[in-house]
Amino acid sequence: MLYRVIDTDELSSLIRGFMDDYEFIAPVKADRGYVFEVVDDPSKVELDYVTTITSPKKYFLPSEEVLMRYSAEENEITDYSVDIKPRVIFGVHPCDINALNRLDLVYKDAPYPDPYYIKRRENTLIIGMSCMPGPNCFCNLFGTDEARMGADMFMQKIGDKYIISLSSVEASSTLERYCNPQRATDEDRKEFRRATREREAAFNKDIPHVQEIAMMMDVFHRDEFWTELGNRCQSCSACASVCPTCFCFDIFDRLDPDGKNGSRIRSWDACTSPEFALVAGGHNFRGDNRRRVRHRFYHKLNGFTGSHDYQLCVGCGRCVTACKANINPIEVLKFFDRKGAEQDGE
Amino acid sequence: MESRKRTAPTTLSVMTEQSFTPPLTGEEMMAANPYRPWSARITSITPLTEKETLFEMRIIDDRVREAFHHHPGQFVCVSIFGVGEVPISISSSPSKSGFIEICVRRAGEVTTALHNMQCGDIVGLRGPYGTPFPFEEMKGHDVLLVAGGLGIAPLRSLINNIHDQRSEFEKVTIVYGAKTPGEIMFRQQFEQWSHRPDFDFYLTIDKPHPDWTGHVGMVTEAFKTLEVDADNTYGAICGPPVMYRFVVEEMAKKGISYDRIFMSFERHMKCGMGRCGHCQIGHQYVCLDGPVFNYWEAKNIQGSM
Ligand SMILES: Cc1cc2nc3c(=O)[nH]c(=O)nc-3n(C[C@H](O)[C@H](O)[C@H](O)COP(=O)(O)OP(=O)(O)OC[C@H]3O[C@@H](n4cnc5c(N)ncnc54)[C@H](O)[C@@H]3O)c2cc1C
Ligand code: SF4
Ligand code: SF4
Ligand code: FES
Repeated sequence: MLYRVIDTDELSSLIRGFMDDYEFIAPVKADRGYVFEVVDDPSKVELDYVTTITSPKKYFLPSEEVLMRYSAEENEITDYSVDIKPRVIFGVHPCDINALNRLDLVYKDAPYPDPYYIKRRENTLIIGMSCMPGPNCFCNLFGTDEARMGADMFMQKIGDKYIISLSSVEASSTLERYCNPQRATDEDRKEFRRATREREAAFNKDIPHVQEIAMMMDVFHRDEFWTELGNRCQSCSACASVCPTCFCFDIFDRLDPDGKNGSRIRSWDACTSPEFALVAGGHNFRGDNRRRVRHRFYHKLNGFTGSHDYQLCVGCGRCVTACKANINPIEVLKFFDRKGAEQDGE
Repeated sequence: MESRKRTAPTTLSVMTEQSFTPPLTGEEMMAANPYRPWSARITSITPLTEKETLFEMRIIDDRVREAFHHHPGQFVCVSIFGVGEVPISISSSPSKSGFIEICVRRAGEVTTALHNMQCGDIVGLRGPYGTPFPFEEMKGHDVLLVAGGLGIAPLRSLINNIHDQRSEFEKVTIVYGAKTPGEIMFRQQFEQWSHRPDFDFYLTIDKPHPDWTGHVGMVTEAFKTLEVDADNTYGAICGPPVMYRFVVEEMAKKGISYDRIFMSFERHMKCGMGRCGHCQIGHQYVCLDGPVFNYWEAKNIQGSM
């Protein structure tokens, strides 16, 4: 990896540079927290944030998108073009970068690659930014506290400088044009290590690491714990909406008012929604909240490792805030930690 | 480093009309856009029961049709634009090329719309999807096929394929159960076959019925009299969810190895390609890793049975 250093006061020039050439997306302050949004004024960009309400997922998988247009009369497709803009998403934290890497496994490096996702991914630069964890952050437990891949460039703040790792030539050329990047010195690297250690030390130590979670989830599949969570769940699917790695969707047809033409639409869906596993004839394979909530966590923390070798939670903590019923991975980790301790006879 | 300034945001197109000129291979066809259904014409409609109808279809585009190859146990997604898209098993044998048959139960919106269509009408098809029955692996062995209700739809593809290459297989036993005589599908074909020496046919209905002189009872009843050469037999099961546990147990009791008992699962499906999540059980996608699983795999999937 190539490393360069810039001064923090060069940041606005860099942002302006990206703004000139791309649709520019960055965190801004909103009523209830921070959100990723299209920004055209560099002073609106807020880089000192812990987390945003929703993740950059929406720029790759819009909550609703048209897959194709058709004539219902002829029962034939008439249009499958989709507009995609070259974009920069600026100030993305490691958990969200790793979440995109997880989505790549499902949408890109998959048996049937998804052209809509891939085109957006190919035309979007990801500019990563270091952060300090808040009380609900536990990315460190899943190894997603560092973005080892998936960003075009990653900026680690060290004092009044940024040390930047460069992955793509496209991001690098913008940096070259709008800033005055220097080679990293030994002093910079020392600062880098110091910053990393400082972050590591700042994680909430009450959130346990459960090494054997996969086995535990299989063993306690029928535990009362899931009934308790199920009873609390409101099936609102807020957890899935804010989650940067939840990728499930629905496909449905919507006719134009004239009834002649229509769109085939893909929209976000969630395994916490009651009809998710319902089939014609009325059988529901996950017919209650207990089964649905359990499935969500099973898939996040265990199931996805069985198919893709990674956990599907990146520890961003968004659902911890979003779920009004207090159902979240931290609770689940704590439960299994307790169960483990009980078995150990502590 | 040299500057490579990009032009201000422009509009790109995910796919143009051009990228959709039908490519040559199945893979290329999918690579273009796996969500795109291809037009197919309904070439024949045969009512089977009150609720089920057999549709024969032919993909219109020559190159796409020639690229379309399926194996018994796979399914297609059938589209009626403006109504929706549903997964349906291919019911015909791969040996019947150029056409596919699907056997559809009127169950909801899309399947009803399909029942209202006429010969010559156009539908959309994409696929074939899913992991099939291990037809080649089954060759040289006895096969024991058990179907309940609509489960005969996917199994018929396997049955007909075995029929077309009958000499490649040893003993072939087919157990098929329906609720009433009126709900037996492909009744004529099966009644003819039940007199053939090369097929052991066991046709049963759930409860006694005035029009019925054959077996009565669940498909598991058949196992009381079945002789199974356990080391040389492959089993395949397809039917309603409740049936699997009982039939699998019977097969296992007869001594058939877990990895030679195959079953086809049904789940809610939207994409058919391992992405939308609807068909997920445990760590598997029924559409991609299944719908056909062997018993060993099924046992290892949390929540499968
Ligand atoms: C692998 C597989 C093979 C199948 N093979 C056949 C077959 O050969 N013949 C046949 O008649 N039926 C088959 N089915 C069931 C068939 O897909 C459903 O009956 C059909 O989806 C109902 O759609 P609908 O619009 O008529 O009903 P609605 O109740 O209006 O369904 C609404 C939507 O829910 C989803 N859905 C509902 N039920 C099912 C279901 N059982 N499976 C998957 N998705 C569902 C579909 O996306 C459907 O569009 C199969 C299902 C699967 C998964
Ligand atoms: S777990 Fe919480 S956020 Fe998710 S559906 Fe249930 S109540 Fe809503
Ligand atoms: S499950 Fe919760 S903590 Fe984990 S990635 Fe999703 S939103 Fe973040
Ligand atoms: S049907 Fe979409 S993942 Fe299986």
